[in-house]
Amino acid sequence: MAEYRTHMKIIGDILATTRDDLRDEDGATVTYLIRKANISHSRISRILKTLVSQGLLEQVDSQGSNKYKISQSGREFLQAYYTFTNFAENFGLSI
Amino acid sequence: MEFLLENILNLVGFLVGLVIGIMSYIGFRNTGSPTLFRLTIAFFSISSGFFVIWSGYMIEDFVLKSGNIERWIQTLGIVIQTVGYFFIAFSHSIKSFFPKSRYFRSIGIFPLFLVSSVQLEHIFRSISFILLAYGAIETMLSYFENKNKGTISVAVGLALLALGEFLGWYSFLFPESILYSISMIIKIGGLLALFIPISKVPLTKIKFDEGLE
Repeated sequence: MAEYRTHMKIIGDILATTRDDLRDEDGATVTYLIRKANISHSRISRILKTLVSQGLLEQVDSQGSNKYKISQSGREFLQAYYTFTNFAENFGLSI
Repeated sequence: MEFLLENILNLVGFLVGLVIGIMSYIGFRNTGSPTLFRLTIAFFSISSGFFVIWSGYMIEDFVLKSGNIERWIQTLGIVIQTVGYFFIAFSHSIKSFFPKSRYFRSIGIFPLFLVSSVQLEHIFRSISFILLAYGAIETMLSYFENKNKGTISVAVGLALLALGEFLGWYSFLFPESILYSISMIIKIGGLLALFIPISKVPLTKIKFDEGLE
């Protein structure tokens, strides 16, 4: 059975993908993120728009296509996310 | 002896609740997670409840010198703590805690005006016991899923608080017995067990919001 993921967990997965999985300095394409985060195009588009507006991701125009790179704020957010995921897990909860 | 234990319990409860509440709040500010917001309310309430009771004992001891804490202060503190326990249980998805019927909702609060503060205290102690027992069971079930050592410590902490609350409530049948002192020692143990995993969270690696520094 598929594991239920909270909105926060999906955001964490997207940021972790852009931080850990990419050797390409140009960033990740939407298609790559959809495959890794396993969510629909319309949903990931909304999330990416929010993450860019919050300064957690940087949008890069590369050879005519949009790519996404994690920003410094995104890295700090991800670190806080992991710390407080662990904190909430101590209470048997997920953030 | 009972007075000393009561003071230790309330101070430990106040400090542990405050520390966990502040950490939850920092987490909420950094991630915007609703779960951490509920934990913030829960632990600030628990901390405030212990503080109110501790203040009551201090006022009684140094100002009023009547030999007995004002009953309504004790009841108020327990009610505030119960709110905190409710939010812990609520975080584990109690979604229908209050009756859904509009009729029951309208009369639900009415009986509270017909009982004395002593009875109110026992009502809220029993509610706290149910909420804590529920929280402990859910946390234990989460431990079986994630096998996180911290989770079992929190589960044991909530279970000890539930047992302490039950004994504290039960001790009104035997007012002069050692039961109430035992309940306070158990609750202190529960609060310390809650604090152990939280003390290991590496907060120093996090860059906090500007406003929090």
